[in-house]
Amino acid sequence: MTQTPSREQALLDKLRTQFQDAIKESKVEGAHRVLVDFERTKFLDLAKFMRDELGIDHVKGIAGVDFPTRKIIEVLYFTGSYSKPELEDLIVVLKAQLPRDTPTISSAVSIWESAHFHERETFEMFGVKFEGHPDLRKLLTLDNWEGPPPMLKDIKFPEMAQR
Amino acid sequence: MTPTATPDPTTTITNPPPSTITIKANEPSTLDVSVGPQHPGSGHFRMVIRVDGDYIVSVDPDIGYVHRGCEKIAEYRTSVSNIPHLERPCIIDAIHLNWAYVLPIEELQRVVVPPRGQYISTIAAEMNRIMSHLYWLAINAGVFSGHTTIFMYAFGDRDLFIELAEMLMGARLTYSFLPPGGPRRDLPTGFKERLLKLLDYFEQRLVEYDRIFFSNPLIIARAKGIGVITRDEAIKLGLVGPNLRASGVKYDVRKVEPYGAYQDLDFDIPTFQEGDSYSRFLVRFHEMKESIKIIRLALEKIPKGPVARKAPLVIPEGEAAGRVESSRGELAYLVMGDNSDKPYRVKIMNGSFRSLIALPYLLQHVHIGDMPIIYGSLDYWPVEADR
Repeated sequence: MTQTPSREQALLDKLRTQFQDAIKESKVEGAHRVLVDFERTKFLDLAKFMRDELGIDHVKGIAGVDFPTRKIIEVLYFTGSYSKPELEDLIVVLKAQLPRDTPTISSAVSIWESAHFHERETFEMFGVKFEGHPDLRKLLTLDNWEGPPPMLKDIKFPEMAQR
Repeated sequence: MTPTATPDPTTTITNPPPSTITIKANEPSTLDVSVGPQHPGSGHFRMVIRVDGDYIVSVDPDIGYVHRGCEKIAEYRTSVSNIPHLERPCIIDAIHLNWAYVLPIEELQRVVVPPRGQYISTIAAEMNRIMSHLYWLAINAGVFSGHTTIFMYAFGDRDLFIELAEMLMGARLTYSFLPPGGPRRDLPTGFKERLLKLLDYFEQRLVEYDRIFFSNPLIIARAKGIGVITRDEAIKLGLVGPNLRASGVKYDVRKVEPYGAYQDLDFDIPTFQEGDSYSRFLVRFHEMKESIKIIRLALEKIPKGPVARKAPLVIPEGEAAGRVESSRGELAYLVMGDNSDKPYRVKIMNGSFRSLIALPYLLQHVHIGDMPIIYGSLDYWPVEADR
């Protein structure tokens, strides 16, 4: 792919000028991936800007990742665009780092409705509280599952190990 | 449960429903009905529908009956032993689940699959797409609309593809055919001829399918104009795959981010504008025709050479996301490695889980009798969604 001067860079430049202090790191990863590491308090503004100005119109999935040694939980939003043909092959990954003891971030549902069930899943599996989510409750685990969020690294299931 | 004259808060859903729904809470004339989680052809899936007479007022999907913690288990298994494990969520579409998991690992390991391997993977994937669509046609379209003939036809023809898949990949459904580096085997002797013969036969069968099912006035009356998602709504809900393309968005990973041999092959993306259940039926019908075209082209153009390269067991440090167009739409895997043979994190983003949001949306203000058709038209696969 030889775009000049690369639409990924143009997209990132727009984001950087708008959110200078909120973006910690942003880079182009490979041909179809863009990564934006941002300050979690600015999430709603960032998401709104991306939807309204850049045409990023849906969430493909939300991945929580637990890093007990760094005492953070990363939340990765995989977003993309259906309505802008020039951006349709891109996956824009928004990464927020949340403190492990109080993982909270604003809910993106008011901006991207497609995030609804993904946020519920991440809430259940990682204990991330999405503030402002209209219906934040358990989704996949059993009703009688009372334990801590099961995808955290300190929850271990040794019986799952390979025999 | 009985209709309550004075609403009792313990018998109603206490949680507010998803944001797309505005319901008349505690309306005396409404009744909550649990649909599922037994398996009436739909998979183990439950939703609580609130009905007012014959009309559905609101829907609360309650999934997770087949949740097995695939992502958690994947952290305990090596990169290769995860392959049979991670294709289980959707066994009728195993190649795509396998492929999407292997793509990010190959990217992290910087392993490039040889061209012949790419072509063989593509042929296998398109065969799998036909099989998966035939399964959908039999159960989700045929049985749910009460058309038992198409159920028999489609299941019978699917078995012919399964036999050829067994010839190529050694198993009927769960192939584990694509470890990192390329497919496990080359095309067996006589496979090409048998597959071409089968495609000729299947093309004739599609004409018959069209006659008895897709052009059937009864099916059209049941499905046309039912469960409409407009283009804007489909984008807003982030739908994928055939459900998205039925609403007029021409989006297919095989075109926007070609993998395998798709960039060398010429094919169309069937797209419809209506967004109703019938156009979702038609998208899959025409996709089967395109798959026939793709397989024929691939068999014709397949280059000579090695099939696979050796790939290491260790997943290098880093993260990568790979995606394919599975039968249920865009399927992406995030794989994080930490220089060990086990992945640090695997995240599955699949079409079924992303279709779920359409259910409360579509089933609002429809007759109960239309529920099976709408549910069937989405090709929702509970096991894939629950993981």
